[in-house]
Amino acid sequence: MSATLDLASTPLLSHEVGSLDKPGWRTAAYAGKPVSAKDVQDAKDWGVRVGVPDHEQLIELLERAPLQSAEDKEAVKRWASRYALRLEESAGLDVVYDGEQQRSEMYAWAVAHTNGFAWRGSVRAFDNKYYSKAAVTGPISLKEAYHNAEFAFLQGAAQAHLKVPITGAYTIADWSFDERSAQDHDVSHAHKVRLAKRRAARREFILDVARNMIRPNNEALIGLGARWIQIDEPAGSTGPDELDLFAQSFNESVSGLSGATFSTHLCFSDYDLFFPGIEAMTECRQFCVGFANYDSRELGVSDAARPGYVVIKRFRDLPYRPSLGLGVIDIHTDFVEPPELVRDRILYAVDVFGDAARIQVTPDCGLRTRSWDVAYRKLQHMVEGTRLAKEQLGL
Amino acid sequence: MTTAVGAYQHGIYPRSEDVVAATRGLERGRTTPDEVEAAYRADRDDFVEVQRDAGMDFFSDGLLRWQDLFRPLVGLSGGLDARTLVRWFDNNSFFRAPEVTGDLTVSGPVPAEMADDGDVPGPKVATMPSPFLFSRAAHSDDYRNALMLDLTREVLRPVCEGLAGRGYSLIHLEEPWLPYFGIDAADWGEFEKAVLELREATAGVTLVLHTYFADSGPHIDRLRKLPIDALGVDFVQTDVDELGSGWEIGLLAGALDGRSSPIEPAEETAAFVRQVAEATGAPSLYVSSNCELEFLPRDLAREKVLRLGEIAARVREGLA
Repeated sequence: MSATLDLASTPLLSHEVGSLDKPGWRTAAYAGKPVSAKDVQDAKDWGVRVGVPDHEQLIELLERAPLQSAEDKEAVKRWASRYALRLEESAGLDVVYDGEQQRSEMYAWAVAHTNGFAWRGSVRAFDNKYYSKAAVTGPISLKEAYHNAEFAFLQGAAQAHLKVPITGAYTIADWSFDERSAQDHDVSHAHKVRLAKRRAARREFILDVARNMIRPNNEALIGLGARWIQIDEPAGSTGPDELDLFAQSFNESVSGLSGATFSTHLCFSDYDLFFPGIEAMTECRQFCVGFANYDSRELGVSDAARPGYVVIKRFRDLPYRPSLGLGVIDIHTDFVEPPELVRDRILYAVDVFGDAARIQVTPDCGLRTRSWDVAYRKLQHMVEGTRLAKEQLGL
Repeated sequence: MTTAVGAYQHGIYPRSEDVVAATRGLERGRTTPDEVEAAYRADRDDFVEVQRDAGMDFFSDGLLRWQDLFRPLVGLSGGLDARTLVRWFDNNSFFRAPEVTGDLTVSGPVPAEMADDGDVPGPKVATMPSPFLFSRAAHSDDYRNALMLDLTREVLRPVCEGLAGRGYSLIHLEEPWLPYFGIDAADWGEFEKAVLELREATAGVTLVLHTYFADSGPHIDRLRKLPIDALGVDFVQTDVDELGSGWEIGLLAGALDGRSSPIEPAEETAAFVRQVAEATGAPSLYVSSNCELEFLPRDLAREKVLRLGEIAARVREGLA
């Protein structure tokens, strides 16, 4: 077993899942706009609060805004990465990334760096949250390995271990329109005929993304030294009748690639739908899954006290014994979970699994919908709750 | 024989990039509530113009302020809360599940999100969740059918009465749950009672129940017996030969796909709708999209609405 695999099965390791909100100064400065005094002060305050080395250099840069040169704008993005890394590291996380500060968004960034797509406009995901949606219009190929520059920078900037989040094939395809396939949109044709054509087109599209977009990115990251890659699949259970295809797309993205551990992140789904489909994902060493959104806020370690976590038994029983990245922080509310609540969620999971080495601790999903202040306090409480659980378990 | 053809757009319509930017900015303290209001008003005016241009027979406000199909009702009602995000069927779209927290009581005739509907031209269409959908999407420990009747009597009925009082001509009930997840035989009686409550509350208003996201064929015999004026069918999911003939209620043909970007051809789609009318013999025919259009970017949704008007005109010509 490699050192990488040890990391993915370290008892109660704490890590982030993906995105953090982009600070106002990062957004404004990168867009070539003036940076408000409030945003500059924000940069100063957070630089001190989380201990960003040399952050005075950022302040000098922001005070020159509006920035014109591409070099200055790229520098701002790198500063945002340093800040996000330090936020996570100073909160006490064992494994970190940069909150995707250098990416536009998990879907948009990937599609923008890939041939074969055309933008169509914004679509709402929920409330006032939207994503830019594209259509696949031609053959898929990478314009460039689109996480390389970011990862190379973070290797030099991070103090903690890194886990690279990369949007998965099923999600990329599911969030896109398909305008390249000979799908049948004529409702006068029998539904069965149209459905068969649609399914064939979906399969071709999803596996095309896996083979020609996700896999080459994985290869490039491994070549740079990435040792843990998390394939993000928030759309994973969208098509309950396509779980075999979801599993196949994961396998096509990672199988045979050595040198890194592969995990996946699932969120905001009826997780029962994933079974038995994900039994085929034998190279997935960890499922990082959001549960807190569905759970009670009461303390307790019984099934009744932890309704959001009852489904974890099914992950426990997967034959290849992956670990579970246990989502213990609800990312859709400003409610800051008390450490004792985090502790009880962990203790419940450890009891169900009967093996602390198969449980790690995470938020439900990326925290980009929360302010940095809320995100920071949530992560600090997550770390403290993990400490309490370890203490109780004698770890 | 079909003698009347009407077209309208139901459900939540996508917001413009201006509203997207304004609401995002408000959450980050970069825009003001007045700027957001102005963006919403511009969106609604634009949507009304699109409906006019398309020749729609009923006008909707586009539900542009609605965060999901239930949220305005949750906001109007004591005893309901909304927290947990849940996937909206097989879409990359989520709603906050209504949670029953106490006795249900509405605080006004219609949700605040509909308060400024006075400048939407008539005849007007309102969209509401169907009682069955509402009760199944809600989080509650209550017996589902009892909950369905409670939600109907204490929330949906007073709101539908309020809509009738405000001059709405058509109330469109969204019902994807029934075809998608199915319905137990024992639940039909309570569902029929719930729909009857709404029927009684809306005398003079056209009541449409729209099934979508799955095949309605297996349920069509019971659906046709509901006390409604018209039944909506998703023809992306349902074949016309499943619908039978001799219909005594109207039919809403969901003939445009609200989840795919290609714009359907006008003449072929109109020919199909005419075929549906002839096969079912429905006395009245409505033409719309198979589901709400909020899964499309706004520009594509606009094209679909304009195409809908074109199709309806061709259907009328063909049936004249």
